[in-house]
This record gives sequence, structure tokens and C-alpha cells, in this order.
Amino acid sequence: MTAGDELLDLASAAGARTIFFVGTGRNVGKTTSLRATYLAACRRGVRGALAAIGRDNDGAELAPAQRKPRIFVRAGTVFATARRLLARSPASEILALSRLQGASGPLLYARAMEEGSCDLAGPATASGVREVVAELQEWSDLVIVDGAVDRIAAVADSQGVIVIACGAATAHTPQEAIDDVTALVARLRVERYDPAKPALQLEGALTASRAAELVARRETRQIVVGDPTQIALSGKAARRALERLDLRCLRPLRPVAVTVSSIGPERSFEPRAFVRDVAAATGLPAFDLYAGERAA
Amino acid sequence: MKTAMLDAASAAALGTDWLEAAVAPVSPYGERLFARRAPFVPGREAEAQESAERVAAVAQQLDPERLDAVRGVLAASPDVASVVARASLGETLDDPSLLELLRFCEAIERVDALLAAEAIFGPIGSEAVGALAGALAPGKRGPRGFYLAEGFDPALGQARGALAAAQAELESARGRQAERISAELGRDLAGADEFILMRADMPAALPAGVRVVREAATYLLCALELGEKSIAALERRESALARAGAAEESVRERLSALVRTHAAQLDAAAAALGELDVLLSAARFARTYQCAPAQIVSDVGLAFQGGRFLPLAVALEADGRAFTPLDVALHDAVVLTGPNMGGKSVCLQTCGFVALCASYGLPVPAASAQTALFDEIAWLGMGRDAELGGLLSSFAREVVRMQEIFERNAPRLLILVDEFARTTTPHEGTALCIALLERLRERNACGLLATHLGGVASGAGARHFAVRGLRGIAARPPAADLRAALAALAGEMDYTVAEVGADELSGGDAIALAALLGADGRFVNAAYRALSQ
Repeated sequence: MTAGDELLDLASAAGARTIFFVGTGRNVGKTTSLRATYLAACRRGVRGALAAIGRDNDGAELAPAQRKPRIFVRAGTVFATARRLLARSPASEILALSRLQGASGPLLYARAMEEGSCDLAGPATASGVREVVAELQEWSDLVIVDGAVDRIAAVADSQGVIVIACGAATAHTPQEAIDDVTALVARLRVERYDPAKPALQLEGALTASRAAELVARRETRQIVVGDPTQIALSGKAARRALERLDLRCLRPLRPVAVTVSSIGPERSFEPRAFVRDVAAATGLPAFDLYAGERAA
Repeated sequence: MKTAMLDAASAAALGTDWLEAAVAPVSPYGERLFARRAPFVPGREAEAQESAERVAAVAQQLDPERLDAVRGVLAASPDVASVVARASLGETLDDPSLLELLRFCEAIERVDALLAAEAIFGPIGSEAVGALAGALAPGKRGPRGFYLAEGFDPALGQARGALAAAQAELESARGRQAERISAELGRDLAGADEFILMRADMPAALPAGVRVVREAATYLLCALELGEKSIAALERRESALARAGAAEESVRERLSALVRTHAAQLDAAAAALGELDVLLSAARFARTYQCAPAQIVSDVGLAFQGGRFLPLAVALEADGRAFTPLDVALHDAVVLTGPNMGGKSVCLQTCGFVALCASYGLPVPAASAQTALFDEIAWLGMGRDAELGGLLSSFAREVVRMQEIFERNAPRLLILVDEFARTTTPHEGTALCIALLERLRERNACGLLATHLGGVASGAGARHFAVRGLRGIAARPPAADLRAALAALAGEMDYTVAEVGADELSGGDAIALAALLGADGRFVNAAYRALSQ
């Protein structure tokens, strides 16, 4: 069984029809994880749909190194893209034009009629992401989204699950990479608040200064934000806040797995130890798609 | 609508934004046309009359469901103006553009079908629209989709068949190679462009077709290399892809050429959609607010029975209250007096709004009306001139605005003056109002000057109208309930505007109103004592 199959099984076990892939930074294997999951879905005959959120491939704005890789899609795959990014050949079936805008202009939904590469695109707003996911679900069994951490509020309190990618590209040491992904996972796993217990509901985001103020006054009530993305803390600040405050949310998210890329452009980590340590630190199943390793 | 006939302060006072929102078209074609249109001005009375009567006829004849159905189709119709323009310039259109053209043609067909039984509308569809719809029909996929299908050209099917075969051949070659390497390495490489081999798990020799990208102490980063068969299959696939692409482009070029040929007629159809949209939006407005066409006359004047200032009428209705319709007849500049809260300002706004609707070629919110067209409708008065900034006093702002109106020197002016010079001494304020009326009379202007100052009408030799005012003093509601007080006031107020003698004094109801609005008894009694002295 491949890592893609295992990620599919995790999503299926959670009853998810949407999988969001997010990363701790660039070049951490997010698209590779997405692709592996997509191919596993294709092998199983699951009707998959693809979309991306955040910046997309606008050649006028992005240097080649910053561009998202194109995705090789099988015939029959539905995807969201920008009008101007839709390849002329091989022609795709346009399912509908959208009123939503992405970074590259108006969006549309298309179905690949031949195998080929495509650029994915999506809207920048959470409500837009929800609309795109809902549209894609009309034509598919599973929507796979190349996501961005600051946009996954769109799947809060939904049936969607999140897979988090981390890797050697964004950290100097394995421990630094582990700290980063552990903090992100802890933030995304913040639980739903308990209405039976005292709570302080925040308007907007929990910032570092607000968290410090709450820690200083030894706040014991539940600190409630709308969804985990409104906890605007990372790294050690996030970890300490989570240790000392009872952080909760109204609309929880569901991270189900971590993928690791032990190789980066400038350094690499020992793969087997890295995947094992990430799984231990996050408490989630971890997969190294390059090394074929897994740990839970 | 290009409303050069109103300055910003007057437009704000008379609810121009409200009116434009109420008659706003729903399609891009209608929006463009509406933005280009200018109000009817003197000399275009017949056109304004015809426009209002056509709107009223549509409002009366077209049932609301059908009207809304047509507007729904218009709202969903894509804007193909730039698509047609690009094709006209020789561009080969892309598939989303072809989809938009298909939906444009479908929208026209649907609108024509919905209006086929209505004698007042001619068809918008033309031979060109029919030809384009027919040419694009093979691409229709479901209610919203499009595909450059084989139905456009059998050559497409052949090229795609060849591409599918070449793709299958490539996959087979690559699959066989990946399967062999997976078996030799004892792991699944599905989907991986690059993969890691742990040195501890490595076979004695790397399988053929595996390239080492980077070596580390404990592992190798590897990639699959295409074998000879795979490379040959890839070349055949690329060649087949190019042929399929050429066949697709050929179809797009043919369809784009058709658009180019019919560009003028397609533009005309788009313009007709715009005209229809503007007309239906106006008709919907007329029906919703029970408007009727005014009689547009060439002599200076404005008269209506049952006139309503719709922005206020709608707000009152939302608050569970009702607007009292007004009757007014003007052919010159006159004085309007009346108690506080008696509706003087609303009377001015109603005059301006009725005249504005007529100049837009719309039926007006009145049971009946007769009006001239005006070159300028000007508001001069309270609370509408903040755009002049905070450096000027309210009196200075009024004077500056008055002079601006004089200098614009509109040949035919409707002016609505709300308590001009109220902030200076009554003696000088009266003198200023008299001077203003004299100037307006010299200009043959039509309008109302609302004031609390006495002696203006007689001093200027102007006709004098008055709001009748309170019929009696309403009982003060308990517990300082402002809403109840306003309701009690409305119940007792006679908003009727009637011509009175030049020197007739308006009812002075201000102290009674202050009591009704919650001023304490001691204060009210003191005011009455002062008044009696």
C-alpha cells in the first residue's frame, strides 16, 4: 500500500469528501503528497477533483522558482483553474464559468478529456474556497485541494480533513522542522470549546501580545477563537500559549496526517529518524513519500 | 445616468442614488447603456414623453413573473462585448470565450421566447445570432458547459483517437519500466518522480533505468530515467498531441471567423439586450411604486397630484408608517411656509424627485402630473452641502452655493430652497430671501423657497403656499417614547400644501411640538409665557 493509499484511507475513515494539503513552507513536498493521493484515488476509481488556493501560476508575477508545479491529470478529472490558465490543448470540457476571481482572474471548472498537465487555481477568500469545494463536489467523490494554512478556515467545522507537509527545506535542523510542524499541528488541532465551562470569546485573532497578556494574568477560562487559523502564533510562542492557556475554537479543523520531505535544496535529514520523530512529536501518522517510510 | 443637471449636493438631497439603484439594469449591456444616457432636457419633451409612456405600457402589459424571468435571463447573460471585439481584431478565441458566446446566444433565444407573445417587443435574435448559435451547438455540455467536441469536425475525433493510443502506449512502456524497478527494489514507486533509497536497504546494484540525483551518508536520492522504448513512445505521444492541438485550433479559428463575420450584428443584438434591460428595469420601478407618465410640457411649470418622495416613502413603509401624498402646482418661484416637521423639506424633495423622474424618461410617483423639463434642478439649503468642507460656516456655504447656481445660469431652472439664510438675523434673512426670489423671477425660474421667516412672500410679490399644520395638539405619549411621539404627530399633522394670502402667517406649532417630543413641562410653560409677552 502506498502513502497515497494510506492518506486516502485516513480521509475515508474520517468521512471526508475534501482533503486539504498545507505546508510549513515551500518545497516541503506538499504537491508531491497531493499528487500521490490523487493518483491513489485514480487507481481506486474514485472520481477526484483538484483545486488550489492561495497564489497560483501567474507568470507575470512569479519567478519560476515560486510557481506551483503543474499537475498531471488523468482524463475525467475535474479541476478548478483560472480562465487564462486553462490549456488550449488538449482541450478540456468546461463545466461552468465561475463568478469568483483568483489571482489570475476569473475562475472556471473544467474536466480533463485527455491526460495532460494543468495549472490549478482558486479564490483567495474562505467563502470563495467553500464555494469552489461545494461546486467541485457536484462532479466528484473527493476534492483534493492544494491549500494554504491561512485559508483552511474554509474547511473548519466541515467534513474536510487536513494533511500537513513539512521538510528539510524550511529548517536548519531536524529538531527545528519538528518544532515547526508540531506547533502547527497543535494549533490546528485546537478542540471545540465546552459550553458548560467558563469561556472568554475573542473577537478576531489571538495575537502574540494578546496571548502574553492572558498568560500574565493567569487566565484559566477557555480562550475561544472562531477557528484554529485565528490563533496567530507560530513556533515556540504557539507551543507556550498552548501549554499555558486553554485554547479552544468554535469551528475545529481536522488534521489527520503529516507528510515529510527529508530532502531539501540545501540540506537533507536522515529520513527514517525524521519521519519517526515527526510522528512521535505530532501524534499523527507521518509519511515520507520519497523514502517510502511511515511512522505512527 | 450622466446627471449633469444636478450638482452633488442637489443629487444627494433629491435621492438620485436611490432612484438610480431602483432603475438599475441587471446585465452588463444594460449597465453600459444606462451609464451613457443623459437626462432629457428642454427641447426633448416628445422623447421624454414617449419614453415614459413606453415604460408605463410595459409595466402595465407585461406580467410581473415574466418580467422577472426576462430580467433573470439578462442578469445571467455573460458580457461578450470584448469577445466579439477580440474576434473582430483577428484573435482566435479560447474555449471560455466560445462558451460565453454560446450562452449569449441562448440568452437571446430565451428572452425572445419569453417575450414572443408580447406585441410591444420585437425579436432581438437575428440571422447572425442563429448562425452562431447553430455553429456553437455541438459544444454545448449541460446547462453551463462547453467542449470542443468531435461534432465540430470529424478530424478532431481522429486526432484525439491517435493521441489516446499514443498516450496508452507511453503509459504502458513507463508502467512496465516502473513495475520492473519496483519489483527489483521491493517497493511501490507509483507517482514518485524522485525517491530515496536507504543504503541499508539497497540491492547490490541499482536497477537499470535508475539515476542517482544525490548521495548522502545513509541514503541515495534517485530518479527514474526513461528507457529507449519509453522515449520513443513519448515522442509519438508529443507528436499526436501536437496534431490534436492543431485540429482543435482549426475549429476555434473557424468559429472565430464566424464571429468576425457577424460582429456588427452581434454588437447590435447586445445593444438591443441593453435597451430591453433598461426598459424592463424602468418598468419594474414603475410597477413597484405605482408610477404614471407625466404630461411633459414645454412651458415652465411643475404640477402633480398625489406626489411622493419615494426614498422617504419606502423608508416610512419599512417602519410601518405611511407617506402622505402631496399636491403641488408651480409655474414660478413661490414661498412655502409651515410648522416644524410639517413636511416643507419633503415637499421640496417631492417636487425635485418628480421632475427628476420625468427628466429620466420615467413615469413619475404621482397620481397625475404635468411638468416641464429643466436644464438644472438645484437644491439650496440645509444639511446637503458638507462637500464644501468645514472651513465655511453654514451661512457661507449657502451663499457660495447660491452664487454657483446663479453663475451656471441654466436656461431653465427648477430651484428648491430650504430655509435659506435661517442662520442670520430674521430681518436680514428676510431681505436675502426677497432678493433671491426677485433674482429667480428675473430668471423665469420655477421653484419653492421654504422658510419660517415672515413677510417674504409679500416683500417679493411672490405667491405664498403653506402647509396646513397641526389639526390639534396630540396627547404626549408616556415614557418619552420618541416613536410613539412621531406617530402621534403624524396623526395630527395635516401635510396639505395650499396657496394662502401673501401675508398670512403660518401656524406656530413649535412649542407644542417641543412638548410632544418630550421637552419638560417647566420648559414648555416658560416658552409659552415668553411667547405671550
